[in-house]
Amino acid sequence: MNEEDCKGGRSRDVPETPRLRIPRAVGLALVALLGLGADWRTPPPGEGPETAPVRRLDGTPYLGVNDLARLMDATKFWRADVRKLVLRSGAHSVALTADNPFVIVDDLTVWLPAPVRSMGGELQVPVALVDTLPSDSALARLIFDPRRDQVVVLPASGGVGSPRLSTTRERTRVSFPADRPEEAVVVARSRAHFRLRFGGIFLGVLPDSLPAAGLLRSIRPIAAAGGCAFEYAIDPAAAGFRLIQDVAGRGVVLELSRLPGEDLEDFAPEGPAGPRSIRVVVLDPGHGGSDAGVVVGGVAEKNLALALAQRLRPELERRLAARVVLTRGDDREVSAEKRAEVANRVRADLVLALHFDGFAESRAHGATAYCPPATFAEAGSSEGSAFGGDGERASREARGGFVGPGRLAVLPWRDVGSRYAVQSRALAEAVLSTLELRGQGPTRLRERLPYDLLGVNAPGILLECATLTAGEDRERVTQAEGLRQLAVAIADGVAAYRRNE
Amino acid sequence: MKRVWIGGLTAAVLASALWYWAGRDRPAGSLAPVGADSASTGVRAVRLYFGAANGDSLVGEPREMLEAPSLHDRVVGLVAELDRGPRRRGVAVLPAGTSVLHVYLDDRGLMTLDLSGAFRRGFRGGSTAEYLAVASLVRSLGANLPEVKRVLIVCAGWPIATLGGHLPLDQPLDVSDWP
Repeated sequence: MNEEDCKGGRSRDVPETPRLRIPRAVGLALVALLGLGADWRTPPPGEGPETAPVRRLDGTPYLGVNDLARLMDATKFWRADVRKLVLRSGAHSVALTADNPFVIVDDLTVWLPAPVRSMGGELQVPVALVDTLPSDSALARLIFDPRRDQVVVLPASGGVGSPRLSTTRERTRVSFPADRPEEAVVVARSRAHFRLRFGGIFLGVLPDSLPAAGLLRSIRPIAAAGGCAFEYAIDPAAAGFRLIQDVAGRGVVLELSRLPGEDLEDFAPEGPAGPRSIRVVVLDPGHGGSDAGVVVGGVAEKNLALALAQRLRPELERRLAARVVLTRGDDREVSAEKRAEVANRVRADLVLALHFDGFAESRAHGATAYCPPATFAEAGSSEGSAFGGDGERASREARGGFVGPGRLAVLPWRDVGSRYAVQSRALAEAVLSTLELRGQGPTRLRERLPYDLLGVNAPGILLECATLTAGEDRERVTQAEGLRQLAVAIADGVAAYRRNE
Repeated sequence: MKRVWIGGLTAAVLASALWYWAGRDRPAGSLAPVGADSASTGVRAVRLYFGAANGDSLVGEPREMLEAPSLHDRVVGLVAELDRGPRRRGVAVLPAGTSVLHVYLDDRGLMTLDLSGAFRRGFRGGSTAEYLAVASLVRSLGANLPEVKRVLIVCAGWPIATLGGHLPLDQPLDVSDWP
């Protein structure tokens, strides 16, 4: 296998998604209804903790052994001759025998209130077993919730309880009880979308209302890969924050302050308030040359992106009175480094990487924007609490950043776009809102630094303007009028971003 | 005597063919029913992540696999299951034919995952397909291998800058970053 073999073909013919035939008026009404219900600014809620249903046999709650093994993260070994099942998880084992109330947990024999039963080819074990399992860090903790008749697994990182709020004139404190405070990490530090992630699962409830005098405007749970995460909207009056990980007291405190101080961390830079100055816009039509991008039904993404850039240029020039520069004006391959070089050389005030999406065998349609995550602050505070403690320091260093002593954070050049994360998100929201209002949605936003914006020293987004594998989207953008309307909508979105109202 | 030999030979060939057929369609790593004897090889539940049909997110699917003796074999099994696609809802997002060539795990939880050339060659689609392909892989590894904290994807022994031109793959990906 050589490198060329690994690179493979550059154009990607994507099978067209089967088209749903519904009357246009009904379709538009459905789209409008879905659009009203969708919150495109937030990712869909993640999955909760692992659970398993409990069934009652002769009044006794039972749990299927397959579910028990899944929750324990155990391997099953079955001896058909003696009808005995052994579950092994790390150094622990549980031996169950059909029609027998005695269970061997490690070296202990446990007498259950009812025998293990066999139903439908699967053993059923009395739920009382979960209380007899060893409680150490090597084994997941299982909890029987009789109200919902289910068993819940508490991961090794434990749980996170209901937050308590306290507000003084200068400070607002949000305190979470947490089994593993050291795992709390600030993952986004913009005031509007401040995010805190925990290793454990959330077992509490969030407050129905927040004190009006405080610095916290809202708090809500968001999707997390394992554990839980919360997004806060923080008042613009907050000057900084501090994350206190109290390992001994098993709690995490997020402290927001109106007054700047040495012990505080900064929020992500937001740029000046009021109308933004946009003198140079860089349009970056995606792909090109041998890299055709998505190809569906004879429509190539590279050509469509270039055609859109050429239509968008006069629309932007007219609205912004700005110089508009294209990274390519014809069908040729441009490296990511070259694209960034063009944007940086002309000192772009914003960069729009234009693409068209494709996702075969799916119902995906509409537009998606990618913008850098708000992980960077111009200056961190000194050692220890500089980036939310050791956990975040390690995370930041793992991403390639260097956290030095004193008020200095060094950012790798490839991630320079994250300096403009707040502006980039504002740009994405402005453009996506306009597309949504003009019926070109649904839209979604992903905070992830896209490949085209590596090393770009300006606010920018990668915009998937429509989904070519969706028949209606493709039909719309391959017609001259549809492409013009798309260009007008994007230009209006950029104009709204400039107004910064 | 000659007829007996020919009859015996034919029977042996038929028996071999039957044995081959019976074993051929049995997917490696699929669930052994609880009723079957698995005293020597265990069965383990895993959670795999596929793309949601609307392209918005991942959807989890529990599945059972034969217990693998080593980390390499476990990763091979997980990627093979992702390649087979979902049995319930969701969409297969890993480029078709992707398999694992090598796996390295360091003591800080960084897994270097060397995938076959099909990962790159078989990719079709735009950023949504690319995002979900990477997310499905990283999230599934993180969910089933707690020792894995970050994943660096390489292809046929070579570093890859990106899969489809939208997401950078030149640096390790944190498994907790893909909700």
